[in-house]
Amino acid sequence: MAKARALDKRRKSIRNIRKITRTMELISTATFRRAMDRAVSVASYTDRINDLVAGLVRSGTEIRHSLLRQRQSVRNACLLVLSANRGLCGGYNGGVLRQAVLRWEELNATVENLRLEVSGKRGISGLQFRGIRPDETFIHFEDRPSYDEVEAIADRYLEAFETGAFDRLDVVYTKFESLSRQYPVAETLLPIGDLGGDRTAEPSDESQYEFLPSAESILDEVVPMSFKMKLFKCFLDAAASEQVARMLAMKAATENADQIIAHLTMTYNRARQGQITNELLEVIAGADALSK
Amino acid sequence: MSELQCIVVTPEKTVVSAAVHFVALPLFDGELGVAPGHTPMIGRLGCGELRLETDEGIERYYVEGGFVEVNGDKITLLTNRAFPAAKLDELTAREALDTARQKPSHTPELMAIRDRAVTQARAQVQVARRNRK
Repeated sequence: MAKARALDKRRKSIRNIRKITRTMELISTATFRRAMDRAVSVASYTDRINDLVAGLVRSGTEIRHSLLRQRQSVRNACLLVLSANRGLCGGYNGGVLRQAVLRWEELNATVENLRLEVSGKRGISGLQFRGIRPDETFIHFEDRPSYDEVEAIADRYLEAFETGAFDRLDVVYTKFESLSRQYPVAETLLPIGDLGGDRTAEPSDESQYEFLPSAESILDEVVPMSFKMKLFKCFLDAAASEQVARMLAMKAATENADQIIAHLTMTYNRARQGQITNELLEVIAGADALSK
Repeated sequence: MSELQCIVVTPEKTVVSAAVHFVALPLFDGELGVAPGHTPMIGRLGCGELRLETDEGIERYYVEGGFVEVNGDKITLLTNRAFPAAKLDELTAREALDTARQKPSHTPELMAIRDRAVTQARAQVQVARRNRK
């Protein structure tokens, strides 16, 4: 009976694992829905900002701002890596780390001072394992990064950039394009390359809008705002991608568990059947021996 | 009666999307009223009370910074924070004002931070008080 019982035990434990992976899949599906809704509402906000910029361009305002200017020499830079706090999400963290190490080496070769900030326990431990020490770490970003938290970080970056503490800010995160497509990217957020909005619009003489207090002052506000939105979008994208990655990984794990259970059931039944046959043979042999 | 379509969005969600007759909003230097047929404009918002006059009566919100865009019969507010004024408590707002006043202000940067905090807290107290009446 020993072998059959051992098989049964294994089957039970795999059933339990399957329950866990299935639940995790359902949870990340629900969280992902929420993350997706948030990403959509941010998109509507960014669209409106772009409309504003287009309005400014049409009114003939020259788009110039210290955050938009490329610095001639980049001596100090900052790299922000967005990873997850937890594992069990397939290649999500691995992809981000690979991209991060690549960008880190690339920047380290050209820049004198490189500052590294990492969000997510997995990213922190992964980079430390590769011998890269982060200067600042965040672990409070879960599946719903709030705007206030991101804004605090964004304000710090804006200040550091304007005072010249660094000349360039790069972010490594997982871009969320669609449910079936997410990929790790490294983007330069500061200086802002493209403000968005329709820059090709012809400045017409008769301005459509009246500006209060002035177009320049609006621009002064729009540019930092646009940076904050971009950074916030990075955090949201990373959160949504993490959920998708976990969803897929857990779905695969559940299917795998199903297969193993089916296989074990078959082996278990065979072992049981074999044992019964064995016992029957013994009984018959015993009866034969007695009757002789 | 002609109507305005008023939309208030924060980075996290769309707070209001409603048909209104009249909007009073806090610009950076004072209150601005917008009725149907207003000239197209873009303005900077300050902190304070946003009043919407709808069929059901007056709705009050607290908004903090951002922009307003008026275009035709559409008025869009892009703001950092927006919530119904009923959610503000005068006492907590007063406490926030006191803590804001006690912030250090010995460098220009800290001074600017303190000023911003004080302005926000003061606006919150005002909105809370008006809402109570």
